[in-house]
Amino acid sequence: MSKIIEVCVPDIGDFNNVPVIEVLVKPGQKIEKDDSLVTLESEKSTMEIPSSHAGTVKSVRLKAGDKVSRGSEILTLEVEEAAPAEASAPTAAPEPSATNEIRADVVVLGAGPGGYTAAFRAADLGKKVVLIERYPSLGGVCLNVGCIPSKALLHVAKVITEAEEMGAHGVKFAKPQVDIKQVLSWKESVVNRLTGGLAQLAKQRNVQVIHGRGEFIAPHHIKVETADGDVSVSFDNAIIAAGSQAVKIPSFPVDPRVMDSTGALQLSDVPKKMLIIGGGIIGLEMATVYHALGSKITVVDHGDQLIAGCDKDIVKPLHKRIEKQYEAIYLKTRVASLEARKDGILATFEGDSAAHPQKFDRVLVAVGRRPNGKLIGAGNAGIQVDEQGFIPVDKQQRTNVPHIFAIGDIVGQPMLAHKAVHEGKVAAEVIAGHKAAFDARTIPSVAYTDPEVAWMGLTETEAKAQGIDYEKASFPWAASGRALSIGADYGVTKLLLEKETRRVIGAGIVGPNAGELIAEAVLALEMGADAQDLGLTIHPHPTLSETLCFAAEMAEGTITDLYVKRK
Amino acid sequence: MSNIKEVRVPDIGNFPEVDVIEVLVKEGDVVKAEDSLLTLESDKATMDIPAPFGGTVKAVRIKAGDKVAEGSLILTLEAAEGAALSVPATAPAPAPSAPVPQSVAETRPTPIAPVAAVVESSGGKIHASPSVRAFARELGVDLALVNGSGPKRRILKEDVQAFVKAELAKPRGGAAGGLNLGLPGMPAVDFTKFGEVEIKLLSKIKRVSGANLHRNWVAAPHVTQFEEVDITDLEAFRKGMLDEAGKQGVKLTLLPFLMKAAVAGLKAYPEFNSSLAADGESLVMKKYFHIGFAADTPDGLVVPVIRNVDQKGLLEIAVELATLSAKAREKKISPAEMQGGSFSISSLGGIGGTYFTPILNSPEVAILGVSRSTIKPVWNGKEFTPRLMLPLSLTYDHRVIDGALGARMTTFLSTVLSDVRRLLL
Repeated sequence: MSKIIEVCVPDIGDFNNVPVIEVLVKPGQKIEKDDSLVTLESEKSTMEIPSSHAGTVKSVRLKAGDKVSRGSEILTLEVEEAAPAEASAPTAAPEPSATNEIRADVVVLGAGPGGYTAAFRAADLGKKVVLIERYPSLGGVCLNVGCIPSKALLHVAKVITEAEEMGAHGVKFAKPQVDIKQVLSWKESVVNRLTGGLAQLAKQRNVQVIHGRGEFIAPHHIKVETADGDVSVSFDNAIIAAGSQAVKIPSFPVDPRVMDSTGALQLSDVPKKMLIIGGGIIGLEMATVYHALGSKITVVDHGDQLIAGCDKDIVKPLHKRIEKQYEAIYLKTRVASLEARKDGILATFEGDSAAHPQKFDRVLVAVGRRPNGKLIGAGNAGIQVDEQGFIPVDKQQRTNVPHIFAIGDIVGQPMLAHKAVHEGKVAAEVIAGHKAAFDARTIPSVAYTDPEVAWMGLTETEAKAQGIDYEKASFPWAASGRALSIGADYGVTKLLLEKETRRVIGAGIVGPNAGELIAEAVLALEMGADAQDLGLTIHPHPTLSETLCFAAEMAEGTITDLYVKRK
Repeated sequence: MSNIKEVRVPDIGNFPEVDVIEVLVKEGDVVKAEDSLLTLESDKATMDIPAPFGGTVKAVRIKAGDKVAEGSLILTLEAAEGAALSVPATAPAPAPSAPVPQSVAETRPTPIAPVAAVVESSGGKIHASPSVRAFARELGVDLALVNGSGPKRRILKEDVQAFVKAELAKPRGGAAGGLNLGLPGMPAVDFTKFGEVEIKLLSKIKRVSGANLHRNWVAAPHVTQFEEVDITDLEAFRKGMLDEAGKQGVKLTLLPFLMKAAVAGLKAYPEFNSSLAADGESLVMKKYFHIGFAADTPDGLVVPVIRNVDQKGLLEIAVELATLSAKAREKKISPAEMQGGSFSISSLGGIGGTYFTPILNSPEVAILGVSRSTIKPVWNGKEFTPRLMLPLSLTYDHRVIDGALGARMTTFLSTVLSDVRRLLL
């Protein structure tokens, strides 16, 4: 049985970019170990590079005039594997794996928001791109089982909830009749429209998409297990965008009623009682959906607040609202065990809110996501992966292997699609020779709960921990006409300003549409706008966007919509 | 309400950058006005910076090894009550009276999981939008060096363009019309690959003079004329004078004689006492005779200058030599004492050697190197006699002095030194 191996330039001393004078072999040629393959000329001498193996030359990567360094690929060689013990049935020797080989300038591993963005950008910059995706549709977690489907369902939840709340203001709706199947099918249609659109975009750009699980087998080769057999992709550059997966707790029972976010989005039914383990963004968004559909929700988190990472004063209005709606919110508490019983999953708790064991119809485990760095054969290409599975990169998204890049969830926190998208563009541009780098000063975070919670830049918690002096302006939406008119008097818009320059260095917003409103604060931070700039920019009235202006005016001392005692 | 003020480096003379040798206080220390806060070392001297007023140190912004200039922020001091400045008794002063343009806050990377430098504010103090930052990155411009002309000094694209234009318009290279050598760069070698090494930092003097010597070496075409001088009689005279000089507290070495001989030579051949004008088209002929002499100190070579050697006697010169040498060794010599020379003498005779090729002490155009004298057999027409011969190595700038003139000078020196009475002529 034969296999294909890469023969690369070995250690040739301290020389980089050594010119190739002559290539001594050609495809199809049979060579022995130590046969000379190419002649290189460095400053000090002319040398020939011997072959490390015997075999048949498959494809030669170099030509005279190319410049190579240690590790550059010379050629691929088909070598005979030593036949395993002569025994074993002589019948039909196993077929050599299909040795279709595809050439790419850039191969992108993973077609999530990071991957497809990088692939399309690279194609737009003139590169021949191959995009590998292990699932049948493009779009990754975000489009298929993350951002998009959850927003579709959250929209459903919002309408249900708003209609219900209208009852207090004179418009009573009867209890909605929820046809789960139809909801699901609408959700699918949204997802399909987007993933179909992606496939179109790929086609328009001549990006070759290969469906199958990809793994590095050598520094310049990825093997993909497709439905039609193995495909080998050889490349000049690679962008790893293989993402992350939900963290599983090994001690929890494997039961259809114990699910992760993907399972939750499948909405197989509306459970009567639902336990959500993990009070972060994903857990709370699912809580919002299921609550609106009628489930009684219990949320458990081992920290001292919901949505860790967000300032407490911004989380509080959300907490207070859902506290009234949900069965219970247990903080500083862990789930000690889950037991699958016929009539439900029995959960026992330990911690500050030591509640009695309770039975739930469904349990959502949303305790975080783990990067997939250890699942892509990184070692075969010499790529460094850390203990947790992250792949360290520099500001140009380069891994320790100069021609291999990584982006998105797999390189680090925060695991957000918009981070992956920007990193994807940087990687593609760097490969195309541009002087690009990931230079964003902040990445905003949003929880699409009800109310939404959004923040960006420095939080007060971080500022205090780093000993950074700041000024704060927190505007209560109770003073905003628009907020009152939509029943969102509990909202808050908070700005953090740098002490000396009074420039915006952080913001936190809680209330409907916080996710949209935060964008203005991000722009303010990137542009170096200060409180005065924000305060003097005319925002339309009556809107929620005004609250940013109000907060700035509070900092400037010019606000009239509130009375702030002069210090 | 507390009064936290910044303490910055005051006027320290013409030095663009000095090293911080030692920080003498730490956060929380209570200091009085005039207490020393830190020690700085320039090319020429070491100095302490005093506290401008008393108070408690809040935050120290520098550490040993940093480079600072006039105005650099040293630390913030919470002024003691008595030291409160002109703030009248109205509402507590919000900010210190002096407008604080840029205090030195550290850049703030948003804290994330250990891996991946995701969001590092590349200089949280740079006031520039993403597009301008991308533009600067493309051109390789460090935005910290660009002045912003936008609102509140925001850096605009035009500012980056103007900066690049200004940099390109700057005259390239050093003094005499640019010294772009067009040589391939020196490759960096990792010596640890070949065996054990130890890294030793060069002293400040060596680093600075190293760069100057390199420049001098490359800028002027050096020619060294060697000559052997018969100082048998001169030495006899000098040795005879030792006691008498000693009674006046003077140690009489050969160097004062060499200096007087050099001055005679400079008067006979004034080109040796000149410098090339900056435009390279004329000579600045000096009417004064300040001679520098190389002194070896633990930190490296320094060249103190004795002024108006033509107007001083041997003993006077000897005294000044001893004083300056001592000062140099004790690192007490001032910049003024090392400036103004028009000719230099470098004597290695005390150590040994035959001849060497001294490097010019620019902007001088000649330097006399002196090696160890030895007894040699010299033919006097009838026989070989043992004579004490002193090797001289005269380096000159061939743009100003040619071979013939160089040889005439060494011949002159030989004549004068072999019969020191000729100095009277």
